[in-house]
Amino acid sequence: MSIEIKLSRSNRIYRPNEALEGKIIANFSTSISHQGIRLNINGSVNLQVRGGSAGVIESFYGVVKPLPIVNTTVVVQPSGRIASGISEIPFSVILKDRGKEDMEKFYETFHGGNISIQYLVTAEVARGYLHKSLSTAMEFIIESKKENLPEKPISPEMVVFYITQDTQRHPLLPELKSGGFRMSGRICSQCSVLDPLNGELTVEASGIPIQSIDIHLLRVESILIGDEIATEITSIQTTQIADGDVCRGLTLPIFVILPRLLTCPTIFAGPFSIEFKAAIVITFQSEQTKKYAKYDPKTPKSWMATESVPLELVRTK
Amino acid sequence: MEFEFRHRDYTAEEKAYSLPRLPAESHPLSKSSHQVDLGHKEKDETDILDPLREVNEKKEATLEVFQDEEINLTGAQGPSSEDPLELHSKEWTSFKKILMQRFPVSKRISLSSISNAIMKTVKVKDKSPVDTHLEELDDPQKFTEEGLKVISQKEYVARLHELKDEISHSWRNNDRVTSLKLSIKVARLLMDTSVVEFYPTLFVLAVDVMDMLGDLVWERIRQKAEYSEDGTFICSLPENFEASNICDRAKETCNNWFSKIGSIRELLPRIYLEVAILPCWCFLINNPLSSLQRLVMMTRGIADPLASAYCQLYMVHRAQKLRQHDVGYLITGINDLKILMMRILSMPETTRKISLADGRLLVSLMEPPIEYMMRCIFKDLNQVSDILMGLGLGKDRSHLFGDRPCISIILHHLLKELPTGVICSNAVDILHLIECNFDFSYDQFLNYKLLGHRLCESVSQVNEANALVDKVIQVISCYDSLYEYLEVLDAYVDIGLQNQMDIHLNSILNEIFERVCAKEIDESALSGLQSFLLKLLTHFDDLKDILSMNRFVDILDVMHGSSRNLINLSILRMATRNSCIQDPTIIHFLFEVSQALHDGTDFSNIRNDENQHSALLISRFVNMVDYGLDFERKLSFLVDCRGAFGGLSELKETLVHSSNILTIKALKDGSNHITFAKSCLTFSEVTIPAIPSGLKQLNLYIETAEVALLGGLISHADGLVESALCYLQDFDLVDGLRVPDSIEASLSLICKLCSLMILLPGNLEQGFLYGPKKIFSFLDSQSWMTSKLKIRVLSALISMSAALSQNVIPFQLIHGKVIGSKKLIFGDPTCLEEFLSFSGAIVQKIVDIVLQEPSQASRGNLALEGCNSIASSFKVCPEVLTICSKLVEIAELSLSSDNRYLVSTKNFLKTRQLCFREDGHRHKYMTG
Repeated sequence: MSIEIKLSRSNRIYRPNEALEGKIIANFSTSISHQGIRLNINGSVNLQVRGGSAGVIESFYGVVKPLPIVNTTVVVQPSGRIASGISEIPFSVILKDRGKEDMEKFYETFHGGNISIQYLVTAEVARGYLHKSLSTAMEFIIESKKENLPEKPISPEMVVFYITQDTQRHPLLPELKSGGFRMSGRICSQCSVLDPLNGELTVEASGIPIQSIDIHLLRVESILIGDEIATEITSIQTTQIADGDVCRGLTLPIFVILPRLLTCPTIFAGPFSIEFKAAIVITFQSEQTKKYAKYDPKTPKSWMATESVPLELVRTK
Repeated sequence: MEFEFRHRDYTAEEKAYSLPRLPAESHPLSKSSHQVDLGHKEKDETDILDPLREVNEKKEATLEVFQDEEINLTGAQGPSSEDPLELHSKEWTSFKKILMQRFPVSKRISLSSISNAIMKTVKVKDKSPVDTHLEELDDPQKFTEEGLKVISQKEYVARLHELKDEISHSWRNNDRVTSLKLSIKVARLLMDTSVVEFYPTLFVLAVDVMDMLGDLVWERIRQKAEYSEDGTFICSLPENFEASNICDRAKETCNNWFSKIGSIRELLPRIYLEVAILPCWCFLINNPLSSLQRLVMMTRGIADPLASAYCQLYMVHRAQKLRQHDVGYLITGINDLKILMMRILSMPETTRKISLADGRLLVSLMEPPIEYMMRCIFKDLNQVSDILMGLGLGKDRSHLFGDRPCISIILHHLLKELPTGVICSNAVDILHLIECNFDFSYDQFLNYKLLGHRLCESVSQVNEANALVDKVIQVISCYDSLYEYLEVLDAYVDIGLQNQMDIHLNSILNEIFERVCAKEIDESALSGLQSFLLKLLTHFDDLKDILSMNRFVDILDVMHGSSRNLINLSILRMATRNSCIQDPTIIHFLFEVSQALHDGTDFSNIRNDENQHSALLISRFVNMVDYGLDFERKLSFLVDCRGAFGGLSELKETLVHSSNILTIKALKDGSNHITFAKSCLTFSEVTIPAIPSGLKQLNLYIETAEVALLGGLISHADGLVESALCYLQDFDLVDGLRVPDSIEASLSLICKLCSLMILLPGNLEQGFLYGPKKIFSFLDSQSWMTSKLKIRVLSALISMSAALSQNVIPFQLIHGKVIGSKKLIFGDPTCLEEFLSFSGAIVQKIVDIVLQEPSQASRGNLALEGCNSIASSFKVCPEVLTICSKLVEIAELSLSSDNRYLVSTKNFLKTRQLCFREDGHRHKYMTG
C-alpha cells in the first residue's frame, strides 16, 4: 500500500509561474475509499545559527523562524475510491509568485550550512479517523524565472588582483617577507552558476619556492538576528591550479566548475544573504608546510598568501 | 692369348667422328651488357653497408623499432581498410610497450605518502580524516616517515591491476561513484615522481585505467543518447553526430561527469580524468578543441617536469579520439615543456638541486612524450611554416629558422619529423640553429649528425651544399673526441663527396689522424672510422686516388678487428674490380692489406661465408697481379704469398695455377727461361701437397705435369706423374668424394692420367707399364670404386696400351724436345709382348667384373662398354670374337633387344666385321 509522486520533469526543476505537473501513483492491493487526495506545496527559507561560528550568543541557537515562501494546498480529487492495482492521479499546480505580502519571493533552491531554501510537494490521501492517512513528499527545485534573467553570455567582469608580501594582512614567515613574491592575475567577479569560474594567474616572482596555488570557493551565509548579523564562511570547493614551484611568467588558467548543489545565485534578502567569494591561496614551501598539510583557508597561515575576491553568481538564460 | 692390337689412324678417326665445329660469335659466359654488372655491384655493396649503418645508429633504435612495428601493423591489415582510430590505438599500444621496455625498473620502489592508494593497509583507509589530522598534529615527523614504504614493483603492478578490476567491477554493479573514486586514486598515483625510472611504467598502467574509465563513460552517455529513459531504442548515433542531436538527458549525465571531475581538488588527477573523458565533450559542444587548449594551459600548473610531460602525452593520446585535428595545443605543449626544460638546464652548476646525471636521466625520461608529440604535430604537413613559427623558431615565413634558443632534445625530435623538403631548403639555417643550441639535454653532435642523415634523404635538393659542408667541417674541427668527429663527418660524407669535398679530404684525414694519435681508439670510434672509410672507398673508382691521400694508410694501420677486416675487404674488392694490377706500390699495399686480412681472420672455420669471401678476394688479387715480363718477380711474389697466406688453402690452388701460367708464359717467351720454368715447377711441386682436397691435388699434379711436358722437362713431369700415382695409391676417400660428381671427376682424372702416360717415356728401371699397372692394381684396393668406374678405367688402360703400340700416336709433341715412350719402345718386341699380356689381363678383368655384377641392367651396360672397348682396340681374332660375343650375349640377356646402346654396339661390331652368324665363328680379316 503506497503512493508516490512522479513529477513531469526528470530533473525536477520548475520556475515561478510555471505549472508543477505530475502524477500521484497509487499502488494498492485492494481498492480503498478515501476522503480526498490533497497536494500541498510548501517552500521556505530555513535559517539556523550554529553556536560560536559568528560570535553570536548561543541562546540564539535555533531560534530563527523559517521564512515562508509558499504554502498552498489543493484538492486533487474529492473523496471517493481508488481501485486496486496501480492508479495514476495527475495534478497540475501553478507556482504563483508572491501569493501574499508577507511571503518571500521564490528564491532558488539552496542547501547551505545555515541557510536552506527548500521546496516540497506533499501528497496526502486522507482516509478518515480510522485509518492513518497515506502521504508522500518530494523535493522539487526552483530556478529563477527565465524572462528576468540576463542574456548569456554575461559581460565578463574581471577583477585584476596582485598578491605580494605587502598585500597580506596576516603575519608572514620572515623568509617569505624578505624573499618577496608577486603574483598577478584576473578573475571573474560575476559568473553564471552554470559556467565555470574563469580567470588567470601569473607567478611573476617568488623568492621562496611555491608549493601549491589553490582557488577556494567560499560561501558566505549571513543571517540577521535582531541587530546582529551572524555570518558563516564555508569553503565549499578547493581547486588546485598549481602543484609545485611553477615556472615564473607563465599564465596559469583559473577554471573552476561550480558545484551545482552547493551554489545558487547570490541573494541579498532582508533577513538573510547568500554570497560567494573566490579566495586565491598561495602556499609556499617551508618546514611548516610539511607539518600541516591541511589547513583552513579562512585563517591564513604565515606560509601562505591570500587574496579573496567577491563573486557574484547569477543565473543566465 | 692371341691378342693383337688393331692399327688405328687417330687423325682420320677424329675427323670422321667429330661434330662439325663452328666459330661462336660470343662467349657463352661473357656479360651481355655492363648494366647487369653494375646492378649487381650496387646490390652487393648495399648488402654489406646496411647492417653497419644500423649499428651506427643504435641510438635511434627505439624509434625505428617502433616505426617498423607500426608499418608492419598497417602492412598486415592493408592501409585502406584501416580506420585512423584503430591505427592510433595500435600505435599507442606499441608505444606503451616500448616505453616500458625502455625504462626498466629496479625491483623495489619506495613510496611516498601520496601513493597510499596502492597500499592495501586497511588501517589507513579506515581512518577518518580527523583522526589522521590529529595524528599528524601529534607527530608530523613520524607520519612522514611512515609514509615512506617500500614495496616491490611486482606488488605495485599487481595492486594497480587489482584497482582496475575493482573499478570495472563496481561500474558493472552500477556503482559508478566508487569507480570514479578509485580512478581518482589511480590518477593521484601519477603525482608521485619520486622514483623517476618507474614513472613511465606507472604512467602506462595508470592511463590504462584512465582509458578504460573514459571509454565506459563515453559508452554510458552514448547509450543515454540512443535509448530513451524506459530503455526503448531511439536511434543510433551517426559517426559524426552533432551536439544538437543529443538529448538533454544524455547531456545532463555528461555535464554531471564533468562537474564531478571538476570538483577534484588536485590539479594532476583532475586533468587526467578530464582528459580521459575528453571525447565526451562531443556530446555537449561541436568544437571540443577549445577544452584541449585550456587543458594544456592547465598543465602549466604542474611544476614537476616529468609529470607535466607525461600528462601532455596522455592528452595527445586522448585527443586522437576527437574528430578534429589541431596542432595548436601541441605547439603550446611543446613550448611549455621547453620552458620547463630550460629551467632544468639553466640552473647554475652550484645551485642546481639535481646532479647532472639526474638531469640527464630526467631529460631522457621526458624524451618519449616529446617524441610522440612531435610526431603528432607533423602528421599534417600543410602547416609546417605555421608550426615553426608557433614553436618560436621562425621570425617570419621567409626565415623559418632563426637563432632563437631551443632545447637540443626538442630540436632533435623536430629535425626528425620535419619534412625533407623543408630541411633541405633550409639546411644552412638549421645548421646555424643547431650551433646555437648547446645544452646537456641532447648531445649537439648527434643533432648535427641527424641533420646530415636527414639531408641525405634527398641530397639533390640540398641548398648551398658547399657552404654547408664548409661549415660542418669547421664545426667538427673543434671536436676533441674522435667519435664525435666521425659521427658528424660520416653523416655529411655523402653530401660532401658530391659537392667538392675532395679538397678537404686531406685535411680531414689529417685531423682524424691527430685524434687517433691523441687517444686510444675505442670501439665506437672504430665503427665510425669504418663507416667513413667505406664511404670513401665507394666514392672513388681508383685505388690510386685513395692511396694518394696522405694519412689514409696511417689511419688504416691503427684500425683493428672486424672493422679493419671490413675495410680491407672493400679495398680488395675495389682493387680487383678491374682487369689486372700492375702498379708495384699498389701491389705492395694490397699485399699488406691481404696479409692483415689474413692475419685478422680465423680461417679454420671454413663454413663461414665471410671468411670464404675474403679468401676469394685474396685469391683474386693474387691472380690479378701482373708484373709483365718480370717473371722472376712474379714468382717471388707467389712465394711471398705462399708464406704469408698459409691459412688459405684455396689460395694455394691459385698459386699453383698462377705459377703454371707463369711457366707457360716464360716458355713462350723464349728458350732462355728453362731454369726459371724449373723453379716455377718446383714451386708448384712443393705447393701441391699442402692442398687438402684430394681431387684438386690430383688435378694440379696432372696440370703441372702437362706444363712440365710442354717445356720438355721430362724429369719434372715424370716426378709429378709419379706423385699423382702415389697419391692415387693412398687415395683415402674423404667424405666429399662420395658425392657422385666427385667420383665422376676422379674417373676423368684417372683417364687423363692414362693419356698423359702415353706421352711420358716412363721409368726405365720400373718398366713402361709401371704406371698403368699401378692404376690397375689401384682399382681393387678402392672400396668406393663402382664396377662401372672400374670398367671405364680398364677401357682407358686398354686404349692406352693400344695407342702405345701404334705407329702414330694421337698426341703431337713439340718436336725435338721430348722423346716420348713411343719412340723408346718403337719396334721393341718385348715391350709389345708386355703390352699384349697386360691387355689380356685387363680383358679378363673386364669379363670378371661383368660377370660379378649383381644387378642385371647394369651388367648389360657394363658388358657393352667392355665389348666396345675391346672391339675398338684389338684386331679380329677368335679370342676377341669369343669374348665379344660372350659379352653381347650377356647384354642381350640383361637388356631389351631395342636398347639403343645394344643396337649401336651391334652395329659397331658389324662394321668391325666382328659380327657373327648363327653358324658361329667365321674368321675375318682386318681392315687397313
